[in-house]
Amino acid sequence: MATTVITGRDLAMTIATKNYDEQATSATLSADVTIETYNTLYSKAYKSIDSQWTFDVEMLADWGAADSLCEALWTAAESAPNTALAVSLTAVTGAVFAFNVLPVFPSVGGASPDAQTVSMSFTVVGTPTETFS
Amino acid sequence: MPASSILTSVRTPLKTAIQGVAANTYDSVPEAPIVPFAAIVPNVPYLQPSFLGKGNVKLKVNLVMTVGVAMYDNQSALDNWEKLVISILAAIPSGYEVGDVSNPIPLNIGASEILAGEIQLATYYTQTN
Repeated sequence: MATTVITGRDLAMTIATKNYDEQATSATLSADVTIETYNTLYSKAYKSIDSQWTFDVEMLADWGAADSLCEALWTAAESAPNTALAVSLTAVTGAVFAFNVLPVFPSVGGASPDAQTVSMSFTVVGTPTETFS
Repeated sequence: MPASSILTSVRTPLKTAIQGVAANTYDSVPEAPIVPFAAIVPNVPYLQPSFLGKGNVKLKVNLVMTVGVAMYDNQSALDNWEKLVISILAAIPSGYEVGDVSNPIPLNIGASEILAGEIQLATYYTQTN
């Protein structure tokens, strides 16, 4: 099998149907799986009992811009904190993950003289739906 | 609509912004700069892809602005250079990261000696068409 390489340039991300690739520098969907371990008389037994997904995004702050993601998230977190936002994350053509996240307040500010950046960690509601083709 | 370019979207706007404070401004490497001057040229690394996706080319653009003044005598040349750098820093528009300023050193350009130093700058550029 030939070596396959996909990079961050293959990623594409939409939040609430809007594409933010031009602001985002990193997007990672990951799962924290809880596995219980039972010591039986015979041996150890393992049971996966839960998984909590997280979506981490790093981006340049875009306050004040048209279709600002920072402003949209701030408004959503303020006015509808329990209403999930639809997210689509394309790892590469043919591998798309769809899921919902709860809005969070973006951080504001940064260090001089660098560009202001925002790091957000979204809690994913439920389990992502994958589409492999 | 003409295609966007780093020259028209990044270097020329920066040059235009400092034209009021630097007598001679260049948005590329000048053959024979006339003092006092400020020249905006590529830094190392120059272009850094740092965003998601392949839809549009999106880059961090690292620049260096070389600032030079006439080298009449050490004290006045340094004073003139410091004043010019301070006024340029005040005139740099928003959207540009301003980094360190190097120490000025004497340089020979042709038959003349100048005092020149560098201002580190960076910004972000998206190819729009």
